[in-house]
Amino acid sequence: MYREGAEQGLSPGLKRKWWTERKKEIFSGYLYISPFFILFAIFGLFPMLFSFYLAFQKWNGLGTFKYAGLSNLRFVLEDPLFWKSIYNTILFGILGTLPQIIVAIPLAILLNAAWLKLKGFFRMAIFMPYVTSVAAVAIVFSVIFSEQSSGIMNVVLSYIGLEPVSWKTTEWGVKVAISTMVFWRWVGYNTIIFLAGLQRIPPDLYEAATIDGARPIQQLWHITLPLLKPVIVFVTFLSTIGAWQLFVEPLIFYHRISGVREEAMTVVLYLWKEAFVNSAYGTASATAVLLFIIIAIFSILNLIFSKNIGRVN
Amino acid sequence: MKKKRWLVLFFILILPVTMIACSNSKAPSNADSGSSDGKIELTFWTFGTTGYEKLIPEYEKQHPNIKIKMQNGEFNDHHNKLFTAISAGSGAPDLAMIEVGFIEKYRDAQDRFYNLYDFGAGDLKSKYLEWKWSIGESADRKFLFGLPTDIGPTVMYYRTDIFEKAGLPVDPKEVAEKIKTWDDYTAAAKQVKEKTGKPMTDNVELIYNARRDQAPEAYFDRQDQLIIEKSPYAKKAYDYTVQLIKEGVVGDLNLWTPEWNGSMKTGGYATLLAPSWMNANIKGNAPNAKDKWAIAPMPEGAGNWGGSYIAIPKESKHAKEAYEFAKWLVSPENQLKSFKDAGLFPSAPELYSNPEFNDYKDEYFYNDHITPVFAEAAKKVKVVYTGKNFQLVQGEIIRALQNVQKKKADPESEWKAAIDRIKTQLARQ
Repeated sequence: MYREGAEQGLSPGLKRKWWTERKKEIFSGYLYISPFFILFAIFGLFPMLFSFYLAFQKWNGLGTFKYAGLSNLRFVLEDPLFWKSIYNTILFGILGTLPQIIVAIPLAILLNAAWLKLKGFFRMAIFMPYVTSVAAVAIVFSVIFSEQSSGIMNVVLSYIGLEPVSWKTTEWGVKVAISTMVFWRWVGYNTIIFLAGLQRIPPDLYEAATIDGARPIQQLWHITLPLLKPVIVFVTFLSTIGAWQLFVEPLIFYHRISGVREEAMTVVLYLWKEAFVNSAYGTASATAVLLFIIIAIFSILNLIFSKNIGRVN
Repeated sequence: MKKKRWLVLFFILILPVTMIACSNSKAPSNADSGSSDGKIELTFWTFGTTGYEKLIPEYEKQHPNIKIKMQNGEFNDHHNKLFTAISAGSGAPDLAMIEVGFIEKYRDAQDRFYNLYDFGAGDLKSKYLEWKWSIGESADRKFLFGLPTDIGPTVMYYRTDIFEKAGLPVDPKEVAEKIKTWDDYTAAAKQVKEKTGKPMTDNVELIYNARRDQAPEAYFDRQDQLIIEKSPYAKKAYDYTVQLIKEGVVGDLNLWTPEWNGSMKTGGYATLLAPSWMNANIKGNAPNAKDKWAIAPMPEGAGNWGGSYIAIPKESKHAKEAYEFAKWLVSPENQLKSFKDAGLFPSAPELYSNPEFNDYKDEYFYNDHITPVFAEAAKKVKVVYTGKNFQLVQGEIIRALQNVQKKKADPESEWKAAIDRIKTQLARQ
C-alpha cells in the first residue's frame, strides 16, 4: 500500500522500479549511520579480528608472518609472569574496588543528606579526581610513594613509628601504592553513581518508615541498602572489569615500561611489553585473546548476576 | 525539501572522503617526484633538538633542485611512528633519524632500507669512529643502515661539594689520577659513605651499565646467540654492582623519576656515570648548581649511551638525493655546527683536535672545557655488537640487581632466575 502511494508521488523522470521510495528510506537510514560503522570497521573491528589471526602467528612487527599454531598461547600460559600479572590484576581489582564501595556509600548518603549546604560544590569536588589526567595523577603518586625514606608517605609512616616501605619494589608496597591511586581516582565517580541510586529510592518509603517509628539506622539498614543493592552490584562489576584494563597507572608509576617490575605487572602491561619491548606480536595477541576470554566470562557473570538481582526486587 | 536533505547527506558523506583523499594526496608526494615546480622534495623525520633546521636552508641554497621537509617529533612518538610506517610499508619518509637503541629493532628488516654501501658510503667510513660506524652495520657488516650523527660517550660526572667533604680531590685532573680503576672507585665510594653518609652512585643501573659497556662483548654474538653464560663480562659487571650494593654505597633513585631529577640539584649522590648529553639534563634539573658538578673520565674506559643514525627507508623514490643530503648533513664540518647549536656530540674524530671544538666553554661546570673529556671517552669506546634483544636481557638483569638491593635477595640465585626469564622470553620471538 505504502509503496504504491509513494511511487505515484514521484516525477516520471525519477521513477525506477527497483529504486522505490521505501528502499530510498532504508538506504538513507543506513547512510546516516554509516560513518560510525565505517570508522568502527577500520579502526575497531579490523584490528580486533586481526589480533585473533595474529595470535596464531609468529611476527616481530617487520618480517613475514609464520604460522605458529597454538605455540603462542602455550608460551603465554606457561609463563609464570603471565599468571603473576593475572594475580596482580585481580588483587588490584579487589584492593582498589572494595574500599571504594565501603567509602563511596557513606559519602553518597552524606551528599544526599537534606541538611548539607553547598551540595553542588561537594559533588563536583568529589568528582574532580576522575577528570584529572591519569598521567598527572600517577606522577604525583609516584612522588608520594617514593622509595626514599624521605618520601612523603615514608615520612608519614615514621611519625607513627613505622619503618619506611619500598613502595616500588616490595610485593605489598606496590599493591598498596597502586590501589590507592586507583581508589583515589575512582571513588568520586562511584559516589556519584551511588548518589543517583539513592535519589531513585522513593521518599515515601522513608516517610512511611518514620511514621512507623523507624530510627535512621534502621532506615539505612532496611530501606537504603537493600534498594541500593542493584547499584552496588553494578559498581562492583564495572570496577572489576575496569580493573582488567589497568595500564597507565603502573606504567607511569615506574616512569618507563622497562622499569615496570613484576610486582606491578598487569595483564595489559604484559601484553604491551610483549608487543612493543620484546617485539613478539604473536604472544602479545595471544595474551589479548586470553584477556578477551577473561573479560567475556566476567561480563557474562555480571549479566546473570544483575538479572537475578532484578528478579529479587 | 527532499532535494535539500539529499544535498546535506551528500556533503556529510563527501566531507570525510575528501578529507581522507586530501591527506592521502600528500603522502605520495613525499615519495613521488615532488612539488609542481620540478623540485625534488625530501621528507626528513627527526627527533629532539638537532639544529638541523638551520642547516637545511644552506643545503637548499647549494642545491636549488632539492627541497627538504623536516618533521621533528618527540623521541618515543617519532620512533613509534617510524616503526609503524616501516612495518606497514607505507608512509615512511625519505630520510629518518634513528636512535641507536632502535636501530636494533630493524636488524631483521634489511629489505625495508637502502644499503648505504651501495651509494659508496664505504668511502666515508674512515671519517667516523669505528665503533659508531659498526653499530650502523648489519651483523655480517655487509649492509649499512645509516650514517652516523651524534654519540653519547660516557664519563663520570661528580659533585665537587661532596668530594670535598669526603676529603677527595676536587680538581678533575687529580680526580682522574685518584680514581683510575674500579677498585679506586670502590675505595672512594667507601670514603664518601663514611664522611658524608651519601651514596657514591644514584642507582644499580648506571653503575652496572658503566662496567657492562667497557666489555668487548655484550649479551649476544653476531649470530644473535645468547652468550651471557659463557662470556664473563656481564657477570663481572653484575658482581661488581652486587659488591657495591653490599657496601651500601649505591643509591635507590630510579632513573628518570622525579626524585632522581631532584637529587641532581640537592646532591643526593657523589657521582653520575652518564653520557655527554646528560650535561643538559643536569643543567636543566639543577640550574643553580654552577661549579657543583665537574666532569672526569670514568675509571678504566668508557661506553656509549645514545646517539643516532640517518637511514633511508626503501620507500623513498629519491634515495640517491637523500643519500647526498645525509652525507652532507653528517659531514664533520656540519657535525661541529650541530654540536655548537644543539649539543649533538660529534662522531667524527677529526673534530676532537679541532681548536674551535676544544675551545668550547661551558661555565656551568667546574671544569669549563668539557669537550676534551668527552672526546677522550669517545675514543675509548669498544666495538660491541648488541643485537636486537639487548633491551630484553638488560631489563631482566636490572630487575635482578634491584631484588638484590631492595629485597636482600641472594645475588647468585637472582642471576640464575634472570637468565631463565631471558631464555623463556627469547624462545617466543
